[in-house]
Amino acid sequence: MKPLKPISAIRLPSIPVSSAAEPELSIELMDNCYRFADLKQLLGAADISKAGERIAGLAAVDEVEREAARKLLSSLTLQQLYDRPLLDRRGRIDAVMQVNYDIDLEKFDSLANLTLGQLKDHLLASKGAEIRACGQAMTGVMVSALAKLLDVHELILLAKRLKNGASAKARTRVGLTGTLSSRLQPNHPTDNLSGITLLAYTGFSMGAGDALLGLNPAIDTVENISTVLHHLDKIRRDVGAPTQICVLSHIKTQLACLEQGAPVEIMFQSLAGTESTLTEEFDVTVELLDKAYNVMREQGPLRAGNGELESAENMMYFETGQGSELTYNKHDGMDMATCEALCYGLARRYSPFMVNNVTGFIGPETHVDNFEMTYSCLQDHFMGKLMGLPMGMAPCFTLHSQITAEGQQMATELLTAAGANFFMDVYLGNDRMLAYFDTSAHDDQTLREVHGLEPAPEYLEWAMARGIFERDEDGQLQRGPNWGKPEQFCQSELDYQRLLESVPAAYGFDNAGPRPADQVTRVLRSNQAVAREAIYADLDRELLAAVGPQRWLESRAATKHDHLSNPELGSFLSDASLQSLQPEHTDVQILISDGLSAEAVHHNIPELIPVLQDGLASRDYQLGMTTVVPYGRVKLCEPLGDALATRLVILLIGERPGGDAQASRSLSAYFAYRVSDDDRAEAVAFSGNPDIRWEYTVISNIYSKGLPALEAGSVIAEKAMQILGFGAAGNRLEARLKQSAA
Amino acid sequence: MSEPVCLVPETVPNTVPETVPDPEFATSSPNPAGGRCLRLLGLDFGSTTSSMMLAEVEIGRHSLTGRMGFGEPRILLQTDAVFTPFQDQLLDADAVATLMDQWLQLAGWDQSEQISKATPAVAGAALITGLAARADNAQMLARLIGERIGDSLIARADDPKLESWLAFMGSCATLSRAWPQRPLLNLDIGGGTTNPALGLNGQVSDCGCYFIGARHFRFEPGSYRLLGWSDIGAGLLKQLGIAAAIGDLLTADQVQQLVAVWVAGLEAIVTGDSQFFQQSDWHQQLLQQPFLTDETGGNQPPLVTFSGGVGELIYQYRQSGEWPATTAFGDLGIALAQAIVRSPVLSASLQHAPEHAGRATVMGLTLHSCDVSGSSLYLSDPDLLPLRDLPIVARLDFDATESYWHKALVLAASCRAGACVAIEQSTTASHASLKQLASHIRAALQSSEFSADQPLVLLLDSNLGKTLGQYITDWGCEPRRLFVVDEIPLRDARFVQIGRPHQHIVPVSFFGMNQEIRS
Repeated sequence: MKPLKPISAIRLPSIPVSSAAEPELSIELMDNCYRFADLKQLLGAADISKAGERIAGLAAVDEVEREAARKLLSSLTLQQLYDRPLLDRRGRIDAVMQVNYDIDLEKFDSLANLTLGQLKDHLLASKGAEIRACGQAMTGVMVSALAKLLDVHELILLAKRLKNGASAKARTRVGLTGTLSSRLQPNHPTDNLSGITLLAYTGFSMGAGDALLGLNPAIDTVENISTVLHHLDKIRRDVGAPTQICVLSHIKTQLACLEQGAPVEIMFQSLAGTESTLTEEFDVTVELLDKAYNVMREQGPLRAGNGELESAENMMYFETGQGSELTYNKHDGMDMATCEALCYGLARRYSPFMVNNVTGFIGPETHVDNFEMTYSCLQDHFMGKLMGLPMGMAPCFTLHSQITAEGQQMATELLTAAGANFFMDVYLGNDRMLAYFDTSAHDDQTLREVHGLEPAPEYLEWAMARGIFERDEDGQLQRGPNWGKPEQFCQSELDYQRLLESVPAAYGFDNAGPRPADQVTRVLRSNQAVAREAIYADLDRELLAAVGPQRWLESRAATKHDHLSNPELGSFLSDASLQSLQPEHTDVQILISDGLSAEAVHHNIPELIPVLQDGLASRDYQLGMTTVVPYGRVKLCEPLGDALATRLVILLIGERPGGDAQASRSLSAYFAYRVSDDDRAEAVAFSGNPDIRWEYTVISNIYSKGLPALEAGSVIAEKAMQILGFGAAGNRLEARLKQSAA
Repeated sequence: MSEPVCLVPETVPNTVPETVPDPEFATSSPNPAGGRCLRLLGLDFGSTTSSMMLAEVEIGRHSLTGRMGFGEPRILLQTDAVFTPFQDQLLDADAVATLMDQWLQLAGWDQSEQISKATPAVAGAALITGLAARADNAQMLARLIGERIGDSLIARADDPKLESWLAFMGSCATLSRAWPQRPLLNLDIGGGTTNPALGLNGQVSDCGCYFIGARHFRFEPGSYRLLGWSDIGAGLLKQLGIAAAIGDLLTADQVQQLVAVWVAGLEAIVTGDSQFFQQSDWHQQLLQQPFLTDETGGNQPPLVTFSGGVGELIYQYRQSGEWPATTAFGDLGIALAQAIVRSPVLSASLQHAPEHAGRATVMGLTLHSCDVSGSSLYLSDPDLLPLRDLPIVARLDFDATESYWHKALVLAASCRAGACVAIEQSTTASHASLKQLASHIRAALQSSEFSADQPLVLLLDSNLGKTLGQYITDWGCEPRRLFVVDEIPLRDARFVQIGRPHQHIVPVSFFGMNQEIRS
């Protein structure tokens, strides 16, 4: 791993003194003049219309405006883009942008006068080495601008040419031509080691995990992460598969684990394309990333001279995906693709082993359907490869978007054609911890067979020795007799049974060729369907009316589509609803909303509410009329509570469904306590927030296999008694309860 | 009476990985993982050998079943089996005390913490069987255990069905779940008794106990020279017409005759042939707790597994192909194990090896002698816990009428130290039926003149404990020493112990599995 160039040595353009110095961005098209306020607006308008851009007001209003923007963009030279650094909200070149300017200046000089259109034509006529060299001379903004000019064929074609040379090496070399690798992700909702083991065994038995055995932890503590790291290391050694391990906790946690001797073979971090998102939301700075890189270079288990036959050339692992800056509202006016390209410019500094793109993970507020998700994935893959990164792809979805399994599968076929280095292996595609849907080892093997690809060579040798793969008489790689048999790694049938008993939503381990057996697929897909239906169902007025008198109000989300694609709307009452309310000065106000699962309301409220009301009545609390607001979010408690001047709002709201049919009926109870004047000083001191007005406590997983509705009613009533009794909620309540117990 | 304590799950918003930008509605795991460790201790004092095991488990909601339970146990200490120190028929108190102190020291046990209740994180059981279960021996053992471990452990003597159940759970519950459609019959063969237990998919459906064992005859190791026999052994010699005296060397033919009777008895258990134990007075004496099931003769014969000392010999032979030297353990165990391997009836499924065959009982004691409750309970007076040796006076259906409750609570009222009623069929409860049940119980508490300061425990298998307790006590307004403990798999047992609360759960142990009590 090479030493890092000092940040201070990166040459930056000067910042224009005023916007007046900016040349006008306008263009005539079919007798219409299209003007764009600045380069950020132009970049946003030039992309296809995506949900995130629509919410941010960056999307073109129609196809003609988009083409106008593209035409204008096409006419800008690289030098013009170089000279116009996109500034943050404080008018600075932020740290992420600064790193993006670490380019091959000599090569840039040779390209500087090309327009983007000319550069595109040049690249399409060039071979891989020249394309790669051009990429090294470009900032993220330039790459994003170029991507806006490419159609689907071009995104795939250019990325494909970049495959040769986009590999990276830790213990295995991932990304070679003719290969398709995978990251085995054995996530478990409680980090149960047996569950993790079975999912890892299953993946290995299907030829997955040659890129990484990497877990997203449920508990981000040094103790737990160290335990899991040692366990993954043991699995790797027991199985014998040549690969590397990683636990995707915060970079600070991993550094602490490494300090204590845990096998942090690959250092992970999520990246963002703006400094404000990176530092304020991810708690990471460029300096910290530099430190992590240097620590890995000097102390990483796979570093040169540490006993491995061949030392790793790359030891960093980053995850990105269009939209995170936008959902935190810290995108500094830039579109999602540009922010994403800036992530790559940051990642490039650290010569990573893997960059994994998880576009689709966030939800419909960034990518609402198959087209938006697929197109962004193709953009991201191209942009990352052009900037020299070993890109893997995780086209994924949550059930509250309109992205489907079929759409995801089509995306994987296109991305494989484009030469993606790796995909994910989440067993049956259903992540048991993060409640989203990704690719599976079945998908990965199917793609290998469709596209004639193989795992990384070191891993393949091991897998052939295990009978997981074999060569046929024509030399073609085929699944071997042990493919898809996780029990091969167990000592006995009892060991296997013990492991089986620890994994939820594992609907079976039978296979049909490279695919799951149909009976397994049918259970999986029907559970997904039930869970998705829970999101798209509307609240049943008749059913709820049977619970007792109710006041129905509206949020600012007028439709289900608005509600799902713009979370802010559900946090406010509509003007009409707000005006209909008067202060009631009650103790408790019960609020019901579908949130992301109306079925959660239907299946729990009828039994829960009577118990809750009985419990509250036993203490003679003044109770407002139960209020129902469709399309609501948690923050809705505050405008409602303020308008009614109630002390405590209890919001009963449907949780975001995962892949389990029962859990799609899971409700949460949020307690929003309006901090009284008497308690304000203590609340301010406790929280450190001088403006604190509300404190929150939550009880979650109210459903038949979690906390059943009948029991939840009294649990919620007791918590309300505690909150009102102590005049506190959230961590301040817990502290006071502990004081009281002591 | 102190205020009711609300055992509310401390559910807080999950720490969502930063790759989840919108944690607002992320489905979190039913229980926060981590931080709920419990230490489990098992002590097994038998006629021949004794041993101890200490394990640590994490408590949490199972990600498949949704029930509260133990995670994977971490075995902290597993002692070798040592000969139980007897002086004639009496336990050597000093030797037992020394042995226990050695074990506890090995386990890093801090007695002062346990006695002072500074760390309430222990549960488990001591099982006292055979000779050690004689009243004087059992009392002495219970005293020694109490002095060292405090009141967190239950000491049970002479509970043969419990022993059978524990042996099944400790040795082959996992195997049974691996073959969920197939009955599994485990024969735990020790020195004095064989304890059969039949189960399906990890759940025991019937238990028994027979005086068939390896140590009814004692030999000089290396030969069949008789050193002694039990009353049952004497009867067998008489049955077979073998006139033998202490010091005699039995012939190979005589040894095979003895073993053949034991094997025939074991085959009778497996095939459900109750006639075998009716052939003579002596045969009837073999029957301590009859194994009543007729399920073993169904269409699908059960898998038969073995545990105990004889079981360990069988599976060691299966692995190594070698037997220990003749009467290496000074009893008939090796010969009996060899005969079992030769029996087509008994050896049909030996390829399915249980885990912990030789330590099934202590493993079962340690890991299965207690269940954990759900995490939302109604405990009016948690400081009163643990409640020990509570008789389960009735098992009532959820919709039992008030008159049933009246009868049950009249019976319970006669138990001054407290009593327990198990409530079955509660999984389909509605708000209306729950309120009706609470109303019946309140009325029955009045009509039975059940004292307000007398502990009453209600056990439920579903997760309704807090709400039921609140309705019975009018949300804590009516003073009652009431403990409603939920999410407990109800067992056919006569007694129950409710342990001290640990964070939000209580450990629950059943014992006295000799007879069923039903309304």
